[in-house]
Amino acid sequence: MTTPSHRSELSPGNSPHPTIRVSADVQKLAEIRHFVEASADALQVEPAVVREVVLAVDEAATNIILHGYQGQAGFIEISIERQGVSLVIHLYDQAPPFDPTQVPAPDLTLPLEERPVGKLGVYLIRHFMDDVIYETSPQGGNHLILMKDCFNSYNREENSNDHND
Amino acid sequence: MTITIDQSRGNIPVTILGVQGDLDASNYQDVIDHAVQAYEEGTRDILIDMSEIKFMSSSGLVALHSIALLMRGGKVPDPDYGWEAFRTLDRDRESGVQEHVKLLNPQPQVDRSLELTGLKQFFEIYTDRDTALASFG
Repeated sequence: MTTPSHRSELSPGNSPHPTIRVSADVQKLAEIRHFVEASADALQVEPAVVREVVLAVDEAATNIILHGYQGQAGFIEISIERQGVSLVIHLYDQAPPFDPTQVPAPDLTLPLEERPVGKLGVYLIRHFMDDVIYETSPQGGNHLILMKDCFNSYNREENSNDHND
Repeated sequence: MTITIDQSRGNIPVTILGVQGDLDASNYQDVIDHAVQAYEEGTRDILIDMSEIKFMSSSGLVALHSIALLMRGGKVPDPDYGWEAFRTLDRDRESGVQEHVKLLNPQPQVDRSLELTGLKQFFEIYTDRDTALASFG
């Protein structure tokens, strides 16, 4: 797993990147998807990749709402940034600690009858994202980081020049 | 998301359940509820029209599984996510009961999720409505 280069600088409420903060309610999922789609589009991510990222973030947010907060009031804060060739999405919440990266991956080579029980949403997240990182945030709660390498070398050079300006 | 229910009479009566829009954790239960109501009103064969589903999360996969169980006369499973649902469905497939639920025209992103999760093998999928309806019975 890759560690984001400056993730320690990011915490709820102080991200300089596009950010959305919504109540932990499944009725907010559409708003979350629209935010992710618009933010990724603005970063010129390919449409097919945007759809994958939107699905992964939806699954992650759904898990936080249903399995983290479990009906309790709370919030989810999501920010999106570009780091080199990677699109990086941060999800913060204050639900009881839950590390989705520790959920065992299903073995798809096994007959269905022998497959382990697991969370399908987590499986889809892992499939569509290149890295999934979990940590407790400095303010407490959970910080889930989803990373997708989706910028080509041309964009990487462009991004590097931007940082040098 | 909107849901439509239509009836078709081909070889046998078939209910066409159409879903339009985004299918996610906020509304997948509505799809199941419509199927339950149709079942209680006599539906035993159902074609799920997926041609206008723009987005579908794993919650939609749970809805498909629930409807498959429902149409064989089983109980709608607990609405949780996991592979247990598919293990159950596999047993159903071996007993040959998936012929009562078929899918119409899932869009590429939805189709990919069906394939990725192994669910695609449990359903007959058609791209043409008339052909799909003629396949029942």
